[in-house]
Amino acid sequence: MEAYRQEIILGAVAIYMLFCVLTGLWAMKRTKNSSDFFIAGRGLGPFVIALALFSSTLSGFGFVGGPGLVYSVGVSSFWMVVISSTGYAIGFFLVAKRIRMIAELRNCISLPDIVAARYKSEAVRFLMAVTIVLGVMGYLATQILAMAVVMQAILSGTVMFADIGLVACVVISSAVLIFYCVTGGIIASVYTDVVQGSIMMIAGTLILFTAMSVFDGGMAEATSIILADDSEAIMPFGAAGIMASLGWFFVFGLGLAGQPHIITKMMMNKNISDNRIILPMSLFGYIMAALLWISIGVVIRAAVIDGVIDPLALPDDAASVFLSVFASPLLAGIVFAGLFAAIMSTSDAFLNIGTAAIIHDIPKAIRGHSIRNELFWARVVTVLLAIVAASFALYSYYTDATLVAILGAFGWATFSASIFPVVAIGLNWKGATAMGAMTAIVAALLINFIVQLAGIVLPYGISGGLLSFVTSLLLFIGVSLLTKPPQLDADIESVLDI
Amino acid sequence: MQSKLIYVIFAIVVLIAGVLIAISLAPPVANSGGIPHPDIPGMQAGGDGAARLEYIGNLAFAFQCLLLGLIVCLCSLGVSERRRSRELMIYMGSSLGFMLIVWWQMYSSHQAFLESGTTAYFMGFPIATAWQVYGTWLGAIPLILIYSIGFRKYIYTSEDEEKFDRLLAERKVAEQDQPRKQASGPQ
Repeated sequence: MEAYRQEIILGAVAIYMLFCVLTGLWAMKRTKNSSDFFIAGRGLGPFVIALALFSSTLSGFGFVGGPGLVYSVGVSSFWMVVISSTGYAIGFFLVAKRIRMIAELRNCISLPDIVAARYKSEAVRFLMAVTIVLGVMGYLATQILAMAVVMQAILSGTVMFADIGLVACVVISSAVLIFYCVTGGIIASVYTDVVQGSIMMIAGTLILFTAMSVFDGGMAEATSIILADDSEAIMPFGAAGIMASLGWFFVFGLGLAGQPHIITKMMMNKNISDNRIILPMSLFGYIMAALLWISIGVVIRAAVIDGVIDPLALPDDAASVFLSVFASPLLAGIVFAGLFAAIMSTSDAFLNIGTAAIIHDIPKAIRGHSIRNELFWARVVTVLLAIVAASFALYSYYTDATLVAILGAFGWATFSASIFPVVAIGLNWKGATAMGAMTAIVAALLINFIVQLAGIVLPYGISGGLLSFVTSLLLFIGVSLLTKPPQLDADIESVLDI
Repeated sequence: MQSKLIYVIFAIVVLIAGVLIAISLAPPVANSGGIPHPDIPGMQAGGDGAARLEYIGNLAFAFQCLLLGLIVCLCSLGVSERRRSRELMIYMGSSLGFMLIVWWQMYSSHQAFLESGTTAYFMGFPIATAWQVYGTWLGAIPLILIYSIGFRKYIYTSEDEEKFDRLLAERKVAEQDQPRKQASGPQ
């Protein structure tokens, strides 16, 4: 079997991609209007939503960047994972019920639709849509780049594609993604999410057992090797330090309820009461899949320190090196398929919300109504958005080889800071005003971009994301308290009372 | 929805901002955000853990306590004010207590390691890290239980469901009336 390692991996990935294409074709028949395309007609069951929620949460960032971060900064990055139970709890307490109610009551098909209804403000809708487009570009580019890098690693191991370039891999992987997103919209997206989520859970569990068998003493031996080399790296705050770690806890924990690709899925379930089982199911799935992040990262760091393998050329190589050195070909095939699943399940969600922002929300905010023939234009813009993001990914790769993980974290932080206060608090506090919402969004975007682009380094590892998040929370509540309480529409007021 | 909870949340966020400012103004420590590993390129090391916490250890501890308080307050905000009973607040308070215990155990285990240089292991990780990995993951489980088990009591009661159904029905009637009014034109 070992002799056919690359063929087995390639076969698993090819079967997975074929499945995505077939799902797209199947879903096309069920996609009759823009409501079907963007929110699946609000008719999805709890199992589908639960898997779609967690598989969208754990992206290529989790499968590629996560183990890479453990390799480079040790336990610090665990904070992004262990926060999941808190993050999901906050998301469901604050968002799940009311976003679903307003979506049905006002026929909302996007997050900017929700905030426009809540704040009675087209300006808030516009700012939210722009935030989504900006964040989606960075995040989607990251996902496409991760997908292409992994595909290149797989294909270059075969004789036939030994010299394949990154551009060709971007084209192939994007083509599959675009096909099923364009044909089947969100219906294809969530049903592929079901399989993607299942693969990710299986992959995470199998990898944990494989990782535990790398050292005779199991995980304890791996962590003791790291401890002997640099104790802080395996202690709770890792190499990055206490404030970087707690900052990630803050941004990733609270921020989950501000991720548009995740909370938009909370608008899609058939029954509101399903939320009570969606929450534990999503969390269970996430934990199973995230085992990969922790176990690969720890074992690879220990293996390099112990001299079992050579130092990695790039931290992001951690997962692929682990699979090629320690995993059986069959497991490697499953995990690589899981990796593509993780990337694609997040990418399709981003394509969907980005497209909705461009063809539905921005025109509605500017002209007062959305464009005609939304379904047709949704498909056109999905293609264009993917092409622009892929071009951005290639440009970033060849001109600035920044870690995939850091780009992913930046995207998450931007969404957290600008969307969380407006949506998560705004849906639960009648005193929140449009002025408070606009101030928070603008401040969050400005701080995130300035800190990132200017390369500002804050003391003690405090991240720009944390700074922008705390600032936007302060401004949102503070400005809302200082401005005149809004006169809410009767139906929205009733929803906020329920 | 009109309670003072938002003021509590605002106060916690102000305190968090204050703690961040205090940390920013603390004397700098060379390895506070990690240092390059001496032998392995691309890998970061933490270095002297005690030195990293010398000026900001207590502030960082307070930061996390405030954050955990914020999390529980936000979850409470997500429950309609009419349902925020004494019983619910006891559950929420207990959840916060549980999370604070986990945090304290993690922090104090780390401090103990920094003083002694030795540690026991639990399920593959040094004790302090085990508190982080398993404890933090489990720390929010009480909140999830409150949501899932208490769903029909606190989150979305039968009464809420009926009220929402009425809202939907009213909306439907209003939407049906609108075209009729538009068709009849101005009188």
